[in-house]
Amino acid sequence: MPPLLKMPPQLIRLVLLAIGIVCVYLTARYFLTPPSFGQYGHFRGNALQEIAARQPYYAGKAACVECHSDHAQKLAKGEHKTLSCETCHGPGRTHVENTAEKLPKLNVGLCVRCHQASPSRPKWLHQINVHNHYTGSVCTECHVPHQPNEVPP
Amino acid sequence: MSENITRRNALKNLAGMVGGLLAMPGGRACKAAVQNGLASSHAPAGYDPFQHKWLMALDVDRCIGCGLCVEACCAENAVPEGHWRTWIERYVITKPKAGSGETRGETMVDSPDAGKEGFPPLLVPREDILKSFFVPKLCNLCEKSPCTQVCPVGATFEAPDGAVLVDKNYCIGCGFCVQACPYGCRFFNPETHTADKCSLCYHRITRGLKPACVEACPSEARIFGDLKNPVPDDPLQRFIASNKVEELKKFLGTGPRVLYAGLDEEVR
Repeated sequence: MPPLLKMPPQLIRLVLLAIGIVCVYLTARYFLTPPSFGQYGHFRGNALQEIAARQPYYAGKAACVECHSDHAQKLAKGEHKTLSCETCHGPGRTHVENTAEKLPKLNVGLCVRCHQASPSRPKWLHQINVHNHYTGSVCTECHVPHQPNEVPP
Repeated sequence: MSENITRRNALKNLAGMVGGLLAMPGGRACKAAVQNGLASSHAPAGYDPFQHKWLMALDVDRCIGCGLCVEACCAENAVPEGHWRTWIERYVITKPKAGSGETRGETMVDSPDAGKEGFPPLLVPREDILKSFFVPKLCNLCEKSPCTQVCPVGATFEAPDGAVLVDKNYCIGCGFCVQACPYGCRFFNPETHTADKCSLCYHRITRGLKPACVEACPSEARIFGDLKNPVPDDPLQRFIASNKVEELKKFLGTGPRVLYAGLDEEVR
């Protein structure tokens, strides 16, 4: 008789129980570990693709320039050169996919959003006090948004 | 043992072997069926996370507090009402009281609706202000992120390209990570009932676009780039080379991949 079987029966039962638990654990792990686990690290690799599957809402400046290169060239010359098209015009993927769907017209509040004077704003930014800067209604009467140095005809 | 080879035993062994061979593909089929039921898989997007290392830099002197980044982030990622993945803080530091012997007075910070609609006029009179500025904030993309360390189910992780992401299919919504983040960048999404945070617009950067906040920023206060694939005259590298860049809460050793230039000592 092998010496292992000479162990008291209660010990043998314990050993068998331990082996059983390990087997159940290994089987459960085999079935429950996601197939792409460990592909890129200690996480489910497919999660990356699932997160990346979302559709962008903002199209990006490159997509705008494809058709509107004239506006982009004008913009690049003036002080608004750091702006992206969608900064002012808003998210444009629907327009890129279907050009018949126009982007909404911009209102005067948009200029003030950045250019209203505030002690918190950095000194390099052109700031105005809306209440005494101009009594008219529209900024574009005097300023060209794509070329702020220019005066409209 | 040789006397044990009877017809009965031989047949038993043969049946066992055949059964074992049949069970292997059966087991594989069962495994695939169970796992497909647990998680739907998507076709790979042709983006290799090992070939990129993203980094965000923020220039405090360039931020004008317009809130267009917050608006763009909320629209791009359909962030639920009242929660923010990025936000702008307005700091106001007053002049010290006469005879107090201090270099500066009180510091006040506000961020109404994360600065999404801009900021209301300051209540402190202009002549009392020593210094005032805006600080944009977002997930710090920590390399040793406390939030991923506390997740009990491994649903949040650091991707090889530097993004810290949440696997919504495996998140159980316990909220440990929300408490663990020392920068307060995570929140509990009431719609999906999972933890939510800035994903660095992962769906955009994998398509070669900039994150929505960077795209919308009018003043180049947010500079985003790939350390592994610098473009000619890379704005990010130029920015890091020409500025003293700092991390938020450096003493915690979280190793943020979001760097700030022009930070005041009061900003945490």
